[in-house]
Amino acid sequence: MTRRVACWRLPRNSGPPSMTGRDVNANTVLGLVVIALALIVLLVWIPLDTESGILEQVRRKVTIGDAMEPSLAAILMLVSGILLLVEPGGPALSPAHLRWLAGICGILVLGFALIRWTGPVMAWLWVDGVEYRLLRDTAPWKHLGLITGSIAIVAGLIAVVERRLSVRGILVALTVAGGLILIYDLPFDDLLLPPNGDV
Amino acid sequence: MKPLLKRLVAAFGVSVMATAGIAADWTPPGPVKLMIGFRAGGGADTQARLIAEDLETRLGWKIIPEQVTGKGGLTLATALAEAPADGTVIGMLVTESLGYNMAAAKTPLTPADFTALTTTASFQMGIVAPASKGWTAWDQMISAAKDGTPIRFGVMSPKLADLAYLLGQSQGVDFNIIEVKGGKAVLDGVTAGDMDVGFMAGIQTNGVAAGDLVNLASAMSRPLKQTPEAPAIADLGVPFDADGYFVFVAPKGLPDEAKTAMSEAIAQIVNDPESKAGTMIGKAFGGPAVISGDDLQTLLQDGYDAAGGLLEAASE
Amino acid sequence: MDLLDYAWAGVLAVFQGPVLFSIFGLSISATIAMVLFGFLNGIFVGATPGLGGPMAMAISLPILISIFGFSSDALLPVMGCLIGIMKGATVGGAVPAILFNTPGTPDAYLTTLDGYPMAKRGEARRALKVAHFSSASGDTFSDLVLILCAPFLATLVERYLDLPEKTALLILSLSFIAAVIGGSVAKGLLSAGLGIFVAAIGTGEDFYPRLSLGTDMLAQGFPAVAVILGVLILGEVFRGLEDLARSGYGRPTLPGHAPPGPPGNDKIRHLPWQDRRPLLPHIARSAMIGTAVGALPGIGSTLAATLGHAAGKRRHARKAPDARAFGTGAPEGIAATEAANSAVSGANLIPVLSLGIPGNAAAVFLILAADSIGGFNPGPAVFRYNQDAVNPELIIAFGLFATMLLANLINWTVGGTVMRSMAIMTRIPKHILLPVVLMLTLTSIYVQETRMAALWFVIGFGILGYVMRRLDISPLPFVIAFILGGRLEETARQAYAATGNDPFFLATSPISAIFVVMSISVIVLAQYRRPTTAS
Repeated sequence: MTRRVACWRLPRNSGPPSMTGRDVNANTVLGLVVIALALIVLLVWIPLDTESGILEQVRRKVTIGDAMEPSLAAILMLVSGILLLVEPGGPALSPAHLRWLAGICGILVLGFALIRWTGPVMAWLWVDGVEYRLLRDTAPWKHLGLITGSIAIVAGLIAVVERRLSVRGILVALTVAGGLILIYDLPFDDLLLPPNGDV
Repeated sequence: MKPLLKRLVAAFGVSVMATAGIAADWTPPGPVKLMIGFRAGGGADTQARLIAEDLETRLGWKIIPEQVTGKGGLTLATALAEAPADGTVIGMLVTESLGYNMAAAKTPLTPADFTALTTTASFQMGIVAPASKGWTAWDQMISAAKDGTPIRFGVMSPKLADLAYLLGQSQGVDFNIIEVKGGKAVLDGVTAGDMDVGFMAGIQTNGVAAGDLVNLASAMSRPLKQTPEAPAIADLGVPFDADGYFVFVAPKGLPDEAKTAMSEAIAQIVNDPESKAGTMIGKAFGGPAVISGDDLQTLLQDGYDAAGGLLEAASE
Repeated sequence: MDLLDYAWAGVLAVFQGPVLFSIFGLSISATIAMVLFGFLNGIFVGATPGLGGPMAMAISLPILISIFGFSSDALLPVMGCLIGIMKGATVGGAVPAILFNTPGTPDAYLTTLDGYPMAKRGEARRALKVAHFSSASGDTFSDLVLILCAPFLATLVERYLDLPEKTALLILSLSFIAAVIGGSVAKGLLSAGLGIFVAAIGTGEDFYPRLSLGTDMLAQGFPAVAVILGVLILGEVFRGLEDLARSGYGRPTLPGHAPPGPPGNDKIRHLPWQDRRPLLPHIARSAMIGTAVGALPGIGSTLAATLGHAAGKRRHARKAPDARAFGTGAPEGIAATEAANSAVSGANLIPVLSLGIPGNAAAVFLILAADSIGGFNPGPAVFRYNQDAVNPELIIAFGLFATMLLANLINWTVGGTVMRSMAIMTRIPKHILLPVVLMLTLTSIYVQETRMAALWFVIGFGILGYVMRRLDISPLPFVIAFILGGRLEETARQAYAATGNDPFFLATSPISAIFVVMSISVIVLAQYRRPTTAS
């Protein structure tokens, strides 16, 4: 037990905290959040960020503008928020859930950074005069990001559940990366693995 | 350490670097991204991909096609304008994207922000009705409209909506203009009876030949190849037209040798009826229509400048 | 072309379509091979707790599109494979339910009630055979209803519904889905409203991509794959991993998980007729319940299984009071459940093919496939036919029917054997499976969209999917509204323009007025009767 390093603390065997129903007013909170969001969308975002209004004069006729659909969607959300206020109970998001999400996101952000930058950084370190952009269709350069990113994401997530970084996790990650190269890169000339469409 | 790696890199296929910069046999410095402004699987997309294939087999260039669609080609134009101008990124659009659409949108871009390479084919843009309506000529539809039949007019772009509106004005009728996404949607709408008439840019060819559809008029400055007797839009009192081409463009500032090499290579493939792309263009678009160099740059600029007149006329 | 000619052309498109490979001069049609592959795959994932049909469909779709491309030749192999997965997963779900008291798919939960007691008695093999027989019967019945009903319904829609009525029909289906999926109307509406709103971002008719905050990243809108896979797959992966992490890894999370029963000492080769006969009324009743439930968008197989099981239980207790009761290892219980949940899969394609409205996750992926490939737009226009012009979409539709019947044939012949060999799948640790699914999904989306932004979107929607699951908001109305949102706006705009800009276009025709009234009533009724049916 002591050998395992906790990535972040999770209560064991306690079940999802949301299911205990200790927060009776969860739906009320959710309703208020939804109402606030819907009002911001309806009164700020849509008016500022659409070219035509709800109705628009085009070619001497009144037509439906681009603001119509999102406004109706926002009104629908507003109605649902109001209905939620009168609906008691319901599960809530606990701080533990948010910590979990933050952890997952941390792993994914790290993985994406590796996917995006491993290749370019390696090219910059080892080859002068050639940008990664020009190497993006050349093995093994084009596979570097996928391999390191896969290790971070797959092995990382397995490690979070197992609470230790295992060789098995890394092997699984490498197998996944290899499999993806086998599925997408070898047989198809025109398909691009991440990040080779962005560079 | 470094020379060894350099050799390694060269062995992995970037040896083309060394030959870059020689005008006579210009080759792209790396894989070329071909942005396609049309949805995957359609006729325009097929054309672009076949040209890419022919470029690869004939010249050994590496072309990677990619879909960049939306907003009448402006999504592609915006992305392309920011791409490096070294021949590693090109795009395929219709001239309308760099003309009317660019002028109508509130974007700072103009055709001068791009290097025009070449056109490949033109549209056979007709105004088409289903045969079941019983109209065999334009005038019959107009008299039906004047008798009080509401006419639903299908269009697939704002420019065509403006043209339909002006047509109604000059003919003294009020069309119910229905804007849909893509020529296929107009064809479907007309076939399903949701629309009475619509613009079609070549997709009508088989239907007209089979007698299910009728070309009532040409929306171009010239008659339709398939129905030369149908009146052109100018004959109907509208001083604008829907002439259009498929066009390859690169970002502004593409070196001349790259520009020449690329536009010549594409033009050659398109003009060769034996090539895959050439065969396809012959079948689907009635043969190639190649305009390149300064002529094309002027054509694009003119299209952009003329758009203002159409926009103004249609807003009256 | 005659309607029968179309049906025949559809069958030929399956059997003589694009060739995958030739062996000894015998050409193997790609579609047949893909249906078989998909079906076996489906049993495999159905039998793996934590995977399930939708996940397998989501992962396969991009790979299939890479293989077969975007031509209309790709439609039958790709959709055939997805249909195979969908059907296989339904069959496979019963395996872990019976052997280990762990449902492989949510709708197999009720199968555990009688299946696991049978396995504990040493009748695992018999239980699996009962499950397979009932599942295959329910599925086949449902497909036949689909083939008979979809063209009829589509023709009706096409003949009587103009653009305003089509708009009203879309509104009705959306409000129905929001009202019936999940336990709460408010949460259903929230989910659907959010879906429509997300569909609005970066789209619209103006040249300025609305709600894009002036960024290039949002200007292209959200790619459909990123939204759908994010909410449906990543949301589930995030939640599944958290549950595993909390419960201590290595141990399955489902509460009722139990050791397997004694190895099958019931060496029956075929289910004898005297065993099958008492099942038949249960299968027939449940197949009809499942088909009826499946034909309504959004209700789904879990409710069908519940209703089928409950109806069977009442009937069984009354008619055969001396026999083993439901819940104590009665084969009839397995039959009533499996026939009902399997009968959903065919019937839920009725609204997809005839109206273009998806009713569950599997249907969402079929629409996504048709959408990505192009050349086939599920909806009433598919079934339009006249004598002179060939309608290629109708051939595809009959081709799809043929693939479904083919999948049934495969199910009847080899399905049972394959199913019984899948017990091993329940041993794969879920905490390794889920990260692999995540990486596969991310890469597949990138290959299709070729920009990192799509990956950020999919993570964002994964978080949304996770939060929705934690707050007990069903993600399905969100996804369906996202798919239908764009269509709804387009149809409404067209209807408005077609009626000469009549602002009351929804109220002027009696049919559309009735649809609108029904849309509102279904929400009000569901809200009023809410606490009675929580699923």
